[in-house]
Amino acid sequence: MPGVFFSEAVEGSTHTVAQAGSTEQLLMLLLLVLPMAGFLLSAVLGRRLSQPWIIAVPTIIVVWAIASYLAFQALIQGAFGNEAITFTAYEWIPAGDFRIPFNLFFDNLTAVMLLVVTSIGMLVHVYSIGYMAHDASRWRFFAYLNLFMFSMLLLVLAGNYLLVFAAWELVGLSSYLLIGFWYHKRSAVLANKKAFLVNRVGDVGFALGIMAIWTTVGTLDFDEVFQLLPAALQMGEIQQWMMVGICLLLFCGAMGKSAQFPLHVWLPDAMEGPTPVSALIHAATMVNAGVYLVARSSPLFANAPEALILVAAVGIFTAIFAASIALTQKDIKRVLAYSTLSQLGYMFAALGVGAWTAAIFHLVTHGIFKGLLFLGSGSVIHGVHNEQDMDRMGNLRKKMPITHWTMLIGALAISGIPPLAGFFSKDEVLGEAFKLGFEWVWLIGIVVALMTAFYMFRLMGKTFYGDSHVDPAVEPHIHESPRSMTVPLILLAGLSIVAGAFLGLPLGASTIHAWLEPVFHPALESAGVIEQPYAIAGIDGILILLSVAVATIGMVLGWRLFGFFRGRAHPDQVRELTARVPRLYLGSFRKWYFDELNDLLFVRFGGVVANSAAWFDVHIIDGAVNGVASATQKAGDEIRQVQTGRVQNYALGIALGLIVIAVGIIFLTTR
Amino acid sequence: MALPQTVPYLGWSWDDVVFLVLAGVMLGSSLMVVLSRNIIRSGLFMVLAFLGLAGFYALMGATIVAAAQVLVYVGAISVLILFAVMLTQSKSGPAKLVFHSQAWAAGIASVIVGLLLIMSVVMTTWPLAMPTPIAQSARDVATLLFNDYVLAFEVISLLLLSAVVGGIYLARKDNIPDPSDAVTRSET
Amino acid sequence: MSNNLDAYLVLACLMFAIGSFGFLARRNAIAMLMCVEIMLNGVNLAIVAFGMFTPALAGAGQVIALFVMAVAAAEATVGLAIVIAIYRNRRTPLVDEYASMRE
Repeated sequence: MPGVFFSEAVEGSTHTVAQAGSTEQLLMLLLLVLPMAGFLLSAVLGRRLSQPWIIAVPTIIVVWAIASYLAFQALIQGAFGNEAITFTAYEWIPAGDFRIPFNLFFDNLTAVMLLVVTSIGMLVHVYSIGYMAHDASRWRFFAYLNLFMFSMLLLVLAGNYLLVFAAWELVGLSSYLLIGFWYHKRSAVLANKKAFLVNRVGDVGFALGIMAIWTTVGTLDFDEVFQLLPAALQMGEIQQWMMVGICLLLFCGAMGKSAQFPLHVWLPDAMEGPTPVSALIHAATMVNAGVYLVARSSPLFANAPEALILVAAVGIFTAIFAASIALTQKDIKRVLAYSTLSQLGYMFAALGVGAWTAAIFHLVTHGIFKGLLFLGSGSVIHGVHNEQDMDRMGNLRKKMPITHWTMLIGALAISGIPPLAGFFSKDEVLGEAFKLGFEWVWLIGIVVALMTAFYMFRLMGKTFYGDSHVDPAVEPHIHESPRSMTVPLILLAGLSIVAGAFLGLPLGASTIHAWLEPVFHPALESAGVIEQPYAIAGIDGILILLSVAVATIGMVLGWRLFGFFRGRAHPDQVRELTARVPRLYLGSFRKWYFDELNDLLFVRFGGVVANSAAWFDVHIIDGAVNGVASATQKAGDEIRQVQTGRVQNYALGIALGLIVIAVGIIFLTTR
Repeated sequence: MALPQTVPYLGWSWDDVVFLVLAGVMLGSSLMVVLSRNIIRSGLFMVLAFLGLAGFYALMGATIVAAAQVLVYVGAISVLILFAVMLTQSKSGPAKLVFHSQAWAAGIASVIVGLLLIMSVVMTTWPLAMPTPIAQSARDVATLLFNDYVLAFEVISLLLLSAVVGGIYLARKDNIPDPSDAVTRSET
Repeated sequence: MSNNLDAYLVLACLMFAIGSFGFLARRNAIAMLMCVEIMLNGVNLAIVAFGMFTPALAGAGQVIALFVMAVAAAEATVGLAIVIAIYRNRRTPLVDEYASMRE
């Protein structure tokens, strides 16, 4: 892995790569080594400790500190300037022509991702102290959490595609272990198997994409690939369809990991895991891996507009598909899961229209408020003694105040109400979509925003407002959660309020734009995008007003039907509404029968195919082999009877043989 | 009174008549050897066959061989066989006990073999053959035996010696166990 | 007919065929040996016939016939000794029963 590179190869590129200094090398290695050590120590010693989190949580706090320092250096101090730093720890696969180093890569995008991953990771670790306090196997939980942190950090820091793939699989493994943490529950085991298998389907595409990259440019290192592959395309060495194909294959992997349609089926079922797991993995970090992959590969995608259109289409379709299901779900975590699917769809739509920075911005803010919402829901579940059905909650506002206020802030944020975080990022996504010419994406996005606001406040209403439908036996025991759980909630709520403004202002030249511009510059150049000045009084202002208006409408509808503070809920109106569209309601409630479709196609039909293949194998192939064996046996049995042991029989044989030979000779000689 | 030159009424020579009679006797008794159910009768028919054969040798003029045939075959071998029959008493039984189940196949095979032989003999011309047999004296035979074939003669005598010794050894009563007995005993 | 070489040869072949039939068909071991003797005799007849009709052989036919007789005698001796030995063990002269080398 040589040092400074290619400033002349791609015209106008300012993204150069330098070797990392020894301090940075050490720090980056520590980021990986510490969680791994935490995992191993927890696994070995955790069972004997009364408080297993003693190993895991401080490790992550240290990791967070290191990551924050590095990110600070990169982003605020601009210590890396326009450069990325990279170094190779050792040669991972030296196999003749196929050489893959274990190299780490750090640029501004990495810095942003590190901040998200380690901050939310740390808060979730602290939260888990309280949440899992009553669980006897919590040492396993903390060990797995550390393993997950290691995998995710490796994914974000990796410098070549194969290392990303390895980390990808590790993250999938950690997710599997954590979803199925309560392994004696059958539903949990089914869910983690489903998650792993669906991920695997996406991974096939990812692996094929990596192989395609290797065969075209002969390297998998990020900077080399981003340099060589577009150059090869320009010089005509590879065809356009090859580029589109590679990008689509990479996107296939992203679809699996980030649960886009049709590989979205595993995410709602993954709610079988404990709530901190849902918050960390399935809201804030792992599902963002797909978005990160596509964003990282932006130089490739920018040269394949057809692939980008598909990405946008899949993303926005997932957004509206998932939002439509979230409208009717009864389980509080399911609503949030479908909401995550929907917001991920937004991110992919942003990537697809070419608004790279907007996508990452939304990734950051979504991580904050979705993490907040999940942790809050965990607090609610903890408070009502493990009840997850919203039909049996209600009027928890007075009894769990901190949870209530923080979740309210989260709900406002996700709905896109200014000046909270979601407003800035969502508005940027939709605005860029409209301005870059993708009006259909914008239109669907607006509808989704309406639905998002509506179902979020439906959730709030059913949980915190209105009449209490809580089980009477449980009701007297409802109390606020312990400090280890509420403090992360408060911190996240605070971040939801300020992060948007901090990152998103000033409009048009925001902080996050400044951070990520060097990363996405090559992609924007390839796409030929011209930066237009921000017109607050013009098109941009109109778009902002429209999105806020739509969000407000959704919010008010939710208030009206489900209650808000002292406003009463109107369940009769809800019933009347659902009675008017029974089929739509049922379809939405049953997730549009997609799981049943999968079952039919793959389990039933595939089962038929597999059974016939098995029949063929047993009867025809095995039958042929066994048939040969039994034929040989029977022939042997028959022939064995010639051996009578009697001399006269043999003598008769001699006589007969003599006759045959003599007759033969006579015939041959007289012919 | 002197015999007429040829047989009256038929006009054959006496040799031919003798030939036919001897042929009948020989073939008939051979058949009876094979087909007879009583083994003693088979043995006796065999003696008769040997005698017929001796007659043939005499008819051809092979005097030494005729005498040897009578001495060796009739005098020694037939007696030997009859002794063996006596020692291994077996009942004369129905045909099932006498003939194998493969007797029919054997019959057909031997008929075909016989036919093949006869055909090959009849169709071949023997360029060196004279039209009549030429008698040779005993002196000629003896000269040949002790000059040209003396090695074979000595070897034959050794062979006979070893056969006699072997026969005695095999047929004696076993008071000392020997390997062949041990093998057969372990099998049963 | 007595001056015809072919006649003697035909007789020899017939004797041989009869002897071989008996050898293949009879169950008693001694009967088998008798039939072997008949076969040998048939062959002997053929040899002597050839010898008598061919002056070029000058008596060699008779000499060979004598040898064949000696060998046949030796063979009969040993064969009968074996049959007697087996009879002592198996109590039967029927070759059907000598089937321990079966399969």
